Amino acid sequence: MLELWWILPAVAVASIVVALLVKVVISVPKARAGIDLQQPDLEGEPVIDEKKVDDRLQEVVFEEIGGFVDSNYKRKEMAKAVSNLVDRELDERIKLHTERLREEYENEISQKSLNEEIALKKYNKVLVEKKNTEAVIKSIADGLVVVDAEGKVIMMNPAAEKLLGSSKKEKSGKPINEGLKEEQMLTLAKKADEKGHREIELSSSQNETKKIIRSSSAVIENENGETVGMVSVLSDITKQKELDRLKANFITNVTHELRTPLIAIDKSIALLLTKDPGPLLPAQEQFLDIAKRNISRLSNLINDLLDISKLESGKIDLQLKEVSLSDLADEVIKSFETWAGTKSIIIRREFAKSLPKVQADPERIIQVFNNLVGNAIKFTPNQGRILVRLESSDSELTASIEDNGPGIPKEDIDKIFGKFYQSSLLHPTDTVGTGLGLPISKEIIDLHGGRIWVESELNQGTKFKFVLPLKK
Amino acid sequence: MTDEIKVLLIDDDPDFTQPMAFWLKSKGYLVTEVHSGEEGIAKVKESVPDIIFLDLNMPVMDGIETLKRIRKINGNVPVIVISAYVEKANTRDVEDYKISGVFYKGEDFQKGLSLLEAALRTHRKLKK
Repeated sequence: MLELWWILPAVAVASIVVALLVKVVISVPKARAGIDLQQPDLEGEPVIDEKKVDDRLQEVVFEEIGGFVDSNYKRKEMAKAVSNLVDRELDERIKLHTERLREEYENEISQKSLNEEIALKKYNKVLVEKKNTEAVIKSIADGLVVVDAEGKVIMMNPAAEKLLGSSKKEKSGKPINEGLKEEQMLTLAKKADEKGHREIELSSSQNETKKIIRSSSAVIENENGETVGMVSVLSDITKQKELDRLKANFITNVTHELRTPLIAIDKSIALLLTKDPGPLLPAQEQFLDIAKRNISRLSNLINDLLDISKLESGKIDLQLKEVSLSDLADEVIKSFETWAGTKSIIIRREFAKSLPKVQADPERIIQVFNNLVGNAIKFTPNQGRILVRLESSDSELTASIEDNGPGIPKEDIDKIFGKFYQSSLLHPTDTVGTGLGLPISKEIIDLHGGRIWVESELNQGTKFKFVLPLKK
Repeated sequence: MTDEIKVLLIDDDPDFTQPMAFWLKSKGYLVTEVHSGEEGIAKVKESVPDIIFLDLNMPVMDGIETLKRIRKINGNVPVIVISAYVEKANTRDVEDYKISGVFYKGEDFQKGLSLLEAALRTHRKLKK
């Protein structure tokens, strides 16, 4: 019992020291303070020199308990006992800590390999998808060419190779038109239309046939909206073009053939109406008048058909001259005044002063005015008003033909420049048009490099506008 | 009746030439209708008319070829070209062979008559 006299103070001291040392030593792996206690072994794992720790521990305890114990021997024994105690405690905690670290480490590792596995799976999946996509691209019938921002080919499918008559190997990294001989490419990229379609005409060197390819291109942008290249889909429209040509020729031929008998009928009736061949009874004259009026309707339709087929097939050459738009408009308005008068319609002119002259085909522009003013008269009720306005800016001349007629229903606005469109609002007793006036006008204005459009709302009247570009 | 003006009408379509000839006759002209280029040339060889109406679009021998041959026989007779279509390209080819005008079939006979009268007037002035 006597020998245990030191226990009480010792336990107090020990607990202080342990707390102190545990704080210092336990944090070894983390704190720089513990670096001198460990030396990395070959594998890089920290190894603690236990002897050194024990000696130092004993020294510290010996110093700390100096105040409580006067006998050196007891002090030493106490230090030894406490340090053993601390040592054991320390070992225990280090063991615990190491265990925890190992667990964490193993967790980390297994997590990492799991991630790697997922990544690998994803990679394989992407690879399969890539191959599938490539197979799809390869097997589509349309040609596909991808170029980078410098216009160099980075991808080209077999159909495109066939269409352009060159291989991906030849083209890879080169601009798309390189190697296409000049005579081979008859027309590259005629003006692209609103949908970005272009027509490329190629004559192949092997079989001396002409190929017409339509290319629809789209710009490729990256996530930041920067242009990184362009993808073009090429389709061979040679057959379609050939059909278009045949159709246009057919229409031209048929209308020509129709016109010959029509002229004979027209002339014969006209002759009867002159009464040179003999007098006519009133009823005979009345019916011949009907026949004549309808013959001229038929002639107009045939002329319009011929016009639209020629315009659409690009067979019309504009006879460009310096013309005064106001003179042309004036001429047309004058020619319509009698008709307008029968409906008590007033046609007002609002021509800006000193309008510049414009390069245009006067006959064709008159045709446009005829269609637009004629339509306006047709659709405007009796006592209506029509306003023809001409104005100019630096770059273009604008003509507008405005009426206070019934207007055009919203759903019809997009259709009116289509062929054979007839307004549902046309009064049954009105003169029926051919339904070709507006598409013809649109073709004519397009051919001049201008634009034509309509602004209208139901019961708010209609305003047709067209602009012609001024030569700079 | 030596004052009668002799008109030669060359057009392959009798359905057109008949009313036209009737109309011209009713205006006091002496009209001969033929329906091919060859016949027309033969008529000119026989006796040169005062004026010729010549259709451009005819089978076998077209108007241009007919005009060339007529010009070899007679360089002065006024010729008015008849065309069914208002196509300027067509008439450009014949302008080298001196034509006095173009009559489009779609137009009124009255227009053809005015062309004829104008051509004859010019021709008479040149003769004097």
